[in-house]
Amino acid sequence: MLRHLLIFSAVLGLAFGQAAKAPAKAPAKAAAAPSGMAARYKNLVFPPLRDVEIPQVEKFTLSNGMKVYLLENHELPLISGRALVRVGNLFDPAGKAGLADLTGGLIRSGGTKAKTQEQINEALEGIAGSVESSIGETSGNVGFSALAETSDQVMALFAEILTQPAFRQDKIDNAKIRERSGISRRNDDAGGIAGREFSRILYGPNTPYGTQMEYATLDAITRDDMVAFYDRHFFPANMMLSVYGDFKTAEMKERLEKLFGNWKVQRPPVPAMPKVSETAKPGVKYVEKTDVTQAFIRIGHLSGKLNDKDYPALEVMSSILGGGFPSRLVRKVRSEMGAAYSIYSNWGANYDHPGEFSIGGSIESKSTIDALSAIQEEVSKLRNLEVTDQELSTAKSTALNSFVFNFDSPAKTLNRMVAYDYWGYPADFLNQYKKAVEGVTKAEVLRVAKQYVRPENFTIVVVGDAKKFEGKDLKALGMPVEKLDITIPQPKQEKAKSDAGSIAKGRQLIDKAVAYVGGAANLAALKDYVQSVDAKMGNGMSLIQKNSWIAPGQLRQDVTLPFGKISTFFDGQSGWMKAPQGEQVIPGAMVGMIQQQLFAELLSLLRSNQIASRVVNYAGEGIVEVSDGPLTAKLVVDEATGAPKKSVMNAASPQGPMLTEVEFSDFRDIGGGLKFPFKSVVFQGGKQTNEQTVTEMKSNVGLSLEELSKKP
Amino acid sequence: MSIYPNRNRLLAGLFGCVIAATAQNVADLEKRITEFDLPNGLHFIVLERHTAPVFAGLSFVNAGAANDPAGKAGIAHMFEHMAFKGTPSIGSKNYAAEKAAMDALEKTYDLLEEERRKGPRADQARIKKLEADVKSGIDATFAQVDQDAFTRMVEENGAVGLNAGTSMDSTVYFMNLPANRLEMWFMLESDRFITPVFREFYKERGVVRNEYAMRIESDPQGRLITALMNTAFADSPYHVGYAGIPSDIENLRVADALAFRKTYYVPGNITIVVAGDVDPKQVRALATKYFGPMPAGPLPPPVISREQEQRGEKRVAIETDAQPMMAIGYKRPDALHADDPVFDVISGILSQGRTGRLYKELVEEKKIALGAAAYATFPGGKQDNLYILFTVPNSGKTIEELEKATYEIVEKLKKEPVDDATLKRVKINVRAGLIRALNSNMGMANALASAHVGYGNWKKLYSALDDVEKITAADVQRVAQTYFTAKGRTVAFMTKSTTQEAK
Repeated sequence: MLRHLLIFSAVLGLAFGQAAKAPAKAPAKAAAAPSGMAARYKNLVFPPLRDVEIPQVEKFTLSNGMKVYLLENHELPLISGRALVRVGNLFDPAGKAGLADLTGGLIRSGGTKAKTQEQINEALEGIAGSVESSIGETSGNVGFSALAETSDQVMALFAEILTQPAFRQDKIDNAKIRERSGISRRNDDAGGIAGREFSRILYGPNTPYGTQMEYATLDAITRDDMVAFYDRHFFPANMMLSVYGDFKTAEMKERLEKLFGNWKVQRPPVPAMPKVSETAKPGVKYVEKTDVTQAFIRIGHLSGKLNDKDYPALEVMSSILGGGFPSRLVRKVRSEMGAAYSIYSNWGANYDHPGEFSIGGSIESKSTIDALSAIQEEVSKLRNLEVTDQELSTAKSTALNSFVFNFDSPAKTLNRMVAYDYWGYPADFLNQYKKAVEGVTKAEVLRVAKQYVRPENFTIVVVGDAKKFEGKDLKALGMPVEKLDITIPQPKQEKAKSDAGSIAKGRQLIDKAVAYVGGAANLAALKDYVQSVDAKMGNGMSLIQKNSWIAPGQLRQDVTLPFGKISTFFDGQSGWMKAPQGEQVIPGAMVGMIQQQLFAELLSLLRSNQIASRVVNYAGEGIVEVSDGPLTAKLVVDEATGAPKKSVMNAASPQGPMLTEVEFSDFRDIGGGLKFPFKSVVFQGGKQTNEQTVTEMKSNVGLSLEELSKKP
Repeated sequence: MSIYPNRNRLLAGLFGCVIAATAQNVADLEKRITEFDLPNGLHFIVLERHTAPVFAGLSFVNAGAANDPAGKAGIAHMFEHMAFKGTPSIGSKNYAAEKAAMDALEKTYDLLEEERRKGPRADQARIKKLEADVKSGIDATFAQVDQDAFTRMVEENGAVGLNAGTSMDSTVYFMNLPANRLEMWFMLESDRFITPVFREFYKERGVVRNEYAMRIESDPQGRLITALMNTAFADSPYHVGYAGIPSDIENLRVADALAFRKTYYVPGNITIVVAGDVDPKQVRALATKYFGPMPAGPLPPPVISREQEQRGEKRVAIETDAQPMMAIGYKRPDALHADDPVFDVISGILSQGRTGRLYKELVEEKKIALGAAAYATFPGGKQDNLYILFTVPNSGKTIEELEKATYEIVEKLKKEPVDDATLKRVKINVRAGLIRALNSNMGMANALASAHVGYGNWKKLYSALDDVEKITAADVQRVAQTYFTAKGRTVAFMTKSTTQEAK
């Protein structure tokens, strides 16, 4: 399953850097006219690299069935460790995508039976320690880091968190708020969209590998779900604990037995991870994003597993195609065309299920089609011609000469051993891989390219602005083009149960409220009104607002601000907005928001019994739910007097859905036998954001649509 | 900005983090570090770490985007990219032919610029023709290029983490290699510093322009941070930001890069760190052999333009359809100022782990923010700069609410002395930070170079611990009161698009 990306941490770095993959051998023969430095370089003799010391990992099983891996290292006075748990978001139940993700975070942030999150925070950070937890696609991690001198305390907290998480409700609520925010932000990053949609299409959006958390699935997740999910997967025999650093192995064994020996929970083995079933229909999927100057692309299909016989040759192939500077794609699209900064290919393989073969990058808008065509050409060349000797030698040397970096920290050896055990790989898998890379030939690279790279099966995701493609069309790529809708589905509003009785009661209560403001006849006779409103905003700012309304729902608003006036007109379907900076048609995305707001206006809700398409339902405690197709709102009525007390709706807002409540009071005559609230207090997300006082109001003044829609 | 996309970030920016260690680790560290200067002024620091037969090589040039001349914003970054293009002997099929083609291209380009400078009197037909000539000139030079020879050589030899980065104050070049490639590294590194060739310049200019498009234009966060710098600074070169100006980038010339090199890439302005499984004696011998011939030059002039006092709050709104974020920056003095470590302590109080007040109050308690962090020094430390509070509101929460709540946290720093437990916690985490940093050759190489260049001595890495240790609750309160004022504040935030083209 895919997770949305969180923006954070990155960005503010000043220097942008890189990491890299590795591997290799063969003294470089490479390059250039053998003169000057190049000649000296050619004659350079490399001393033999001293052997890496492969550290001895101590492996054993605790009395409760927990597997343990210990590696002493005394370079620094630090100890770190982690429990690797067989679990994953692939196990999320249908309709509850996000359960594993939330559970993973809450193990640490939800407190323990004895301590709140805050107490744990203080205790850990007071001694420069940390414990963090997470659950990813195919595994879970609870890890710690400590100074050796205070590692006892940190490890005690680590054990407490791992074995006694409390999943406190307030922290669950908080995590859900953040997840919702994450969902609302997931379409802000063009590169993120490309990667996400590419994966979803490849694995199938409705499979465990392609599904994603939505507002609705998040809402469906309860604390009980989390507790059950934790209980099912977190037990000693289902985890591997590795500890690294400044300790004595014998002592550490004792410490661990003491910490975990009494944790004797037993469960049946967890089921196997689900299988991947390729579902993607090839073609170009275009996502329109207009606030970018580049097109963010992904091209490819599912790949294979790490232990596939041909994986080493495929790695070599992919590195020649787009694995770094000396690769074909970088040369062509970046160096020659100057059309991109980022361009790469990757034969992504997983331990247990097919990964993604992807070509990706971000391309200046105007060169998008040319670059995509150039990529197609490079792929076709790769499948039809042998690579050159130099390309093969570069790819293999790069891999083999950097092989030593697999051993540059003893902790890497420890982590690799744990990973191989987790996935049932042989202990010498890395060396097998190295041998296989050494043996890859040009003929083999061509064979695997032909056999495994299937351009006719490509999914091509393009996120960008096709209007900036300089008149060229995505159809030029020779595949069916489809526009992809990535609108974030809004949550369904929860409704109370409804039956004939509750509907009748709802209508009665609306009638009672109508009677309170002056009766149905007078209400029907209200043709228009004009009001002046003094609005106090949450930030202390005060606005003068003039509202003009014509039945049944045409509205004009003139707001006076320190820097000028903003006027808005809406006729129910469309409208305009005029401000000192300029003028615009109300954009499509906002129309729905305004319709929902107007639907929830008091006058609109009071007319509900007269509008056939509306469903009115009593939900208890004076609450009447009103819905009309996608529009919903609630009216809260004083059941004794019939006074409308409050309207409630889940408004779509630029920041995502937001609970908006308006409290009515100070009902006064406005003529025509009608009463209207002169005071409205607006709450958004539970916080008061606006207090509106009507300073003047007149009804049935004979307002015409022409006047109403006249631009200032 | 870096030459390679999509790779991890180098640890720590310049000056940024003050780190320190327990006495034992410091003593041990001192024993393993040697330093020397070559006669031409090039400074070397060697850290022995024999954990594995590998080493990190890092060249730190004490010049960055803040040194871009007017009209050439982006040249420091452009230069960084050019340092991967090779030398006369590496990267050419036939250097004599290539050189001739490059010279011819520059002449044609000069003619084009000359014609363009005539403005309205320029001969458009001639411009068209010269533009076509420039284009074919670029192709002619390209025909002589042995593409990617430099990067291919280092990667074939097992380089890992090969990259470079340009910040406001510095440009850093780095890679990890197997230990037996030490001499090769010296050979190639010295060759590209002493005799660089700016080949493929005009194609790479497009790449650099595209890096701007990716990091700034197409990234809401990039736009926000750039706007913060553009707004907060009026006089200081930090005004432009580290990515340059698109129209400047599009017009950069080889001569600009040459001039930049002549001024800033002199031995006395460069520090090189080698960290890992190396013998300091051998490093010294190789340094002398390969970097000794680099001609000495006068030290470059410092940046003269100083930011004047800010006289009132500045605000900038970025219109976007993306979800909102906010960056609040307070003017603060440069990294050599006595208050520098106090800002780092404040960052610990505000932003450390889960006990930092920003996280604790905005994320956990008030639930207004999805995330919040403080950065003590932005965008560089050599000049007066900004203390930044970066926050992202939760869905349904407004920038206004978030801003108000953030100020409450800032005001608390000014009103109430920070409690002992918090201060102690911050200090121990600073100490632990250095111990953890010792775990990586490259991380240490960067930290040593940054401390040497920024503070004049790598030992600042741990003497900074003493500075931090001495800081009191009163210091924190005083610094907060002095600098965290509305007058010295700049607020950059995102807002929904309100105006589009009138129809």
